[in-house]
Formats: sequence, C-alpha cells, structure tokens
Amino acid sequence: MSFSQSDIPHIKWSLITFLVTLAIGSSMVIIAQKYANQTHRSVRSAQQQLTEARSKLNAARDDQENMSTYTKEYSAIQNRGVIGDEQRLNLIEGLDELRGRNVVVDLKYEISPQQAYKPLTTLNTGNFELKYSPMKLQIELMHEGQLIRFFENLRRDINGWFILEQCSLEHSTLPNAQLKADCSGGWLTLKNRNAK
Amino acid sequence: MSRKILLFLSIEHFHANVWKDRSLNQSEYFSNTVEGLEKFADFLHAHHDPVYLLVDLIEEDFRQETVPHLTGSNHHALVQRKFDQYYSNTPYRLTRLQQRQSEGRRDDELLFSALTNPSLVSVWLDVLLSHQVPVAGIYSIPHATTPLIKDLDSNHLLLLSWEKDAGLRQSYFLNKQLRFSRLTPIHSGSSFAEVIATETNRTRQYLHSLSLTPHSELLNVHIICHAKDRAHLDAHLSSNSNTHYAYLDLPQLGSQLKLKYDFQDSDATPLFLHLLAIQAPRTSYASPDHTHYFKLWQAQRAFFSLATLTAVTCLIWTAFSYFEGSGVANEINNLSYQTSRMLQEAEGIIRKFPSDTPSNGINPNGGTSITASASDMKSAVTLFRNLQVYSVPPEKILQGLTNTLDNFPRIRTSKLDWKMTASADSLPEQVITFYGELADFGNDYRGSLNYLEHFQLALSRIDYIVTPIKLPLDFSSKGSIRADIGSNRNKPSEFSLKITWRPKQ
Repeated sequence: MSFSQSDIPHIKWSLITFLVTLAIGSSMVIIAQKYANQTHRSVRSAQQQLTEARSKLNAARDDQENMSTYTKEYSAIQNRGVIGDEQRLNLIEGLDELRGRNVVVDLKYEISPQQAYKPLTTLNTGNFELKYSPMKLQIELMHEGQLIRFFENLRRDINGWFILEQCSLEHSTLPNAQLKADCSGGWLTLKNRNAK
Repeated sequence: MSRKILLFLSIEHFHANVWKDRSLNQSEYFSNTVEGLEKFADFLHAHHDPVYLLVDLIEEDFRQETVPHLTGSNHHALVQRKFDQYYSNTPYRLTRLQQRQSEGRRDDELLFSALTNPSLVSVWLDVLLSHQVPVAGIYSIPHATTPLIKDLDSNHLLLLSWEKDAGLRQSYFLNKQLRFSRLTPIHSGSSFAEVIATETNRTRQYLHSLSLTPHSELLNVHIICHAKDRAHLDAHLSSNSNTHYAYLDLPQLGSQLKLKYDFQDSDATPLFLHLLAIQAPRTSYASPDHTHYFKLWQAQRAFFSLATLTAVTCLIWTAFSYFEGSGVANEINNLSYQTSRMLQEAEGIIRKFPSDTPSNGINPNGGTSITASASDMKSAVTLFRNLQVYSVPPEKILQGLTNTLDNFPRIRTSKLDWKMTASADSLPEQVITFYGELADFGNDYRGSLNYLEHFQLALSRIDYIVTPIKLPLDFSSKGSIRADIGSNRNKPSEFSLKITWRPKQ
C-alpha cells in the first residue's frame, strides 16, 4: 500500500486527533510524573527531617538524663576550678599557704606557661580542650612521709587539679633535711571550646 | 461490532444491506440504470461504513495450476504472467495457494480465478470509487463459502446453495480445497428440486470429464436449504453408489454463525453476506487501487484507535502518578506532624534545662552556676573520671613498697624515682626505679641473693611488677666477677630494680 499527498485529507483529522491526544496525554503524564517525583523528593526530605528531629529529641532526652546524673559532679569539678580559665593566683596563694604550714622543711616551685595537654592514652575530650600548666617542685624533707602528706594537702587544700608526673627522692645535702625530692607535674584545666 | 455495508451483485440484481450487530436490514435494490446509479450514490452518501461486495456471477472462471515453489518478487511475476495468460481482459482476478506438494520438487498448487465479465462489476465499483467509499474487497460466493465446508467429512464434496437473485450455485471441493464452481439460473416455472437433480448430474459428468472425480469415488452432495424444502427435495433426490445427498439446514447454519435473521425459504444469500461480514476471505478480486480508500479508512481507524489507546494509557498513567503522589503527600503530612511533635517535645525538654541561669556564671545563691549544656556536663564528668588515673597520689604508689621495705631491714633505700609512663593498655602506669643497698652481702652471697629474691617476690605478691636492673652480684656466665674478699666482706652491695605499678581497672 502506498500513500500520496492527496491522501492526507482522508486521514488528516484522525492524525491530528492522535497527535493532539499524544501531546496532551504526554503533557499530563509528564506533569503527573513530576508531581509524583516532587512528592517523593519531599517525602525523602520529610523523612530526613523526622530523623533529625528524632535525633534531636533523643539528644534532648539524653541531655535531660545527663543533667540530673552529672549536674552534681560537674558542679563539684567546676567549684574546684578545674573547668574554665586557670586561676593561677589561687594556686600561688595556696602553695604559699602550704609552705607556711611547714609541712615540709623547704619548698621551691616553678610554674611554666600554660600549654595544651596531651594525655598518654587517647581520650574522648568531647567539647573540651585540656590545658596544662607545668610545675617543678624542689622539696626538702625530714622523711618520706612528709612528701606524701604534702601532696595530700596540695590535693585537698588548693583549688585546682594537680597531676604528678614524676618524682626523684634521694638523700639531702642540707644539714636540716634528710631527703630531697625533685618532682614535676602540672595543673590541669578543662576549657569548653564554646565558652567565650 | 462495527457497521458494514454488504453489497450483493448477480447478473440481474444488485442490492445493499447494512450489517450491524450480526443482523442484516432489509435489502435495498438498485437497478443498473442512471436513476438506479444515482439512487445508489445517494445511499452511499448516507452510509460511510466499509463496503464488502459479494458477487454471484456465471462469468467466474477457475483454473488449478501446479507451479514451482517461488517466493517474493519471483512468485509475484509468475502469478502476473499466469494472470496475463488466462485473464488478461479483467482486473478482477485472484490466486490462492491450495497446498504444497509433499513429494518431488514440492511444487505449489495454485487456484487461479477471475470474474471474466468485468463490466458487470465495474459499473458499480466506479460509483463506489468516485464517492471514495472504502471498499474492503470483492468476493465471490464460491470463495466466501469455503469456511462452511471445513467441518464436513468428505474428500469429494459438492456444495449446493440457492441465491434468490442469482440461481443455483454448485461448488466442488476436493480435499476441502475449492476446485470448480458454476452458477445455474433457475427460471420461473422450474422446480428447485428438479433443477438440483438435473444440475447435479450434469456437474458430476463435467467433473468426470475433467478427471476431477474418479468413477469409484462417492460424491457427497450437500444442499443448503430450508426445512420447508427438505421433503420436496427428498422426493426428487435419491442417493446411490455414486452420489450421496445430504442437507445443511439453513436456519441452523445461520444460528451456528450467530446470524440474527429469520429465514423464510432456502435463499442462502443472507447467510453468505453474514459469513462475509464476520469472516471475509483474505484474498479478493479487488486490486490495491480498488481497496485504496479502505486502506485509508483503516489508517484513519488505526489513528483513532491509537488516540484512544494513548488517551486511556495517559489517563491511567496520570491517575496512577497523581494517586501515588497524593498518597505520598499524605505521608509527608504525617511525617511533618511527627517531626513537629518531636521538635516541640525536644524544645520542651531543652527549655527546662538550667541554661537560663545567669550567663556570667555567678549563682545568686553563691558559688558558681552551671552554664554548660547537659552533654558538655557529661563530657566533662566522664573526662574527669578518666583522667583520675593520671592523678594517682604518691601514697598509693609507694605504700606497698614502704610496707615491704619494713619487712626487709637489710635493704636500705639509696634513691627512689618514679615516673608516669604510657602502657600497652589504656591506663598509664607508674615506673619506679629503686636504688638500694643490701647489708652483709660479702658474708653469704647465696643467702643475700635469696634475701633479695624474697624481697622481689614480696613486691610481686602485692601487684608490683619487678624487673632487676642491677644485682649485687652478676652470677650469670656472661658477667665478670672480681672480689677482694678480705677488704669487702662487710661492705653493703648496691642494686637497682625497676618496679612497675599499675592502677586497678
């Protein structure tokens, strides 16, 4: 079968009907498909928002639980001056006061500038930076028991947190002392990164 | 079912029937005159359905040929050559492949046939074509009746039918393939049964002369007739060893083909017209030029069908996508509601946190107020707890060593170092370097070394890990020993130990 141009009028309307139907139908399908795709994207976004909201709620609930569990302990640490900026004046006053009590025969100390602290093992520090002020101590003692008491007093009476790293104990050359201790450590503070 | 126009042409009559829903309307007759042709043209103006032309003419010729099996253009050229050879004066011709031989070259057995008086058809066909009527085809009764004999069990079959406006049609089928057909007009005054009896014999003799039926074979004659004529036919026709007569009930055939028509006599024309409408043969006498408008009509129908199909498909697709989207939109609303409820709950919890305390960190009740978030508090407390192992009081490290030394008076401390170091596990350890002197070593080496050994064992029992660095006497084979027994007998001997203390988990 062969068609010529003169046959077009015979099939014109059917062809136009088909093409118009195809055009309108395709447009409807495309629009509906776009609508469906858009809703699918929206539902994915809504699901993501729901996941985020759920995480936020869980975090809030965790925070609520943490709040009651940790508030007391945190308050104690904070009151001890471990959290926040270092209170160096308090340290000096505390050390001088300790020296005045004659717990040991003689005490010399040297505090270096504060620096970042790197623990020997890996620790999750969360939102906190660990700051450390190294301190060297030269202590003249009558006996080793004085050294133990000295560090007990240091821990109990001075507002701060001292970490003793090393000590060397040997016979003293001074006439009024039996032992000499060379110790080093540092004052540790936890600094919140978000704190102004 | 769609509507069709069925035209019937015989030598003297031409009528049209509208076929719809398996029923035929009253025949409308048109005479072969100017007035009749105009009336027919008016009829065509009123009807725009495809036209099927059924002819029942004496001037139809049949030839059976065995030709080599060819395909494509070769086959077409061969058929054209045969047409030119046999039927060069008519455009109404057709060929049908009846069978392919099973032996030898496996040639094709073709039946050539033609309407040999084209003017009888052309006068009506010209009107149809001039009005651009879609002519589906031009068919003849012998070809159109082929479907009727497919269930009849006979190899030599003569099918007889009577068409009121044409006459008695006899079609001979050999092995269910049409071989020959002839039309005999029935003149007024002649009995239907008498004509059948006479013409059947003539046809039989004719078939014998063509060697189409062997003498020994039985010829089955099936007569399509109404029950009213059956008794009359029975009286005139009697079967014998050569011929067996059987009857096909016309109304029964009509109902088998679901034709809604009330047969009043043995005129089989309505049956054949209906057969043509529901089961037109694939080939017809019409040439491609004759069926051109029918092809255009088919194309038009195809486009409309495609448009309908497209519309339905697109509507279903659109509806599906829309309902899918709507369903998802409901889900979005549900998710958004849940999200907003969770956020509100989270904000309610957060609002209760003590973050509303003065931002300067000073508690009005004295002391320092808490300004950290709960998670920061947890971090700080956990970190502080974990860092406790870094801040072990010297008492804890040295207590065990001091107590042990009290039990070993011969050992004196010269120097004591300790240092916090990293360990293989997660906790730091304290490594103590103990420098000591063992009194009275020169008097009893073995006893002194055992004494020192007991000291180390005593430390090990209280969870210190002891490693000797230097012993008073290196008694291994690698060491060198030099002694002045007389002068060093009462001198204390120096040694050093590495003592490791680990905090308990």
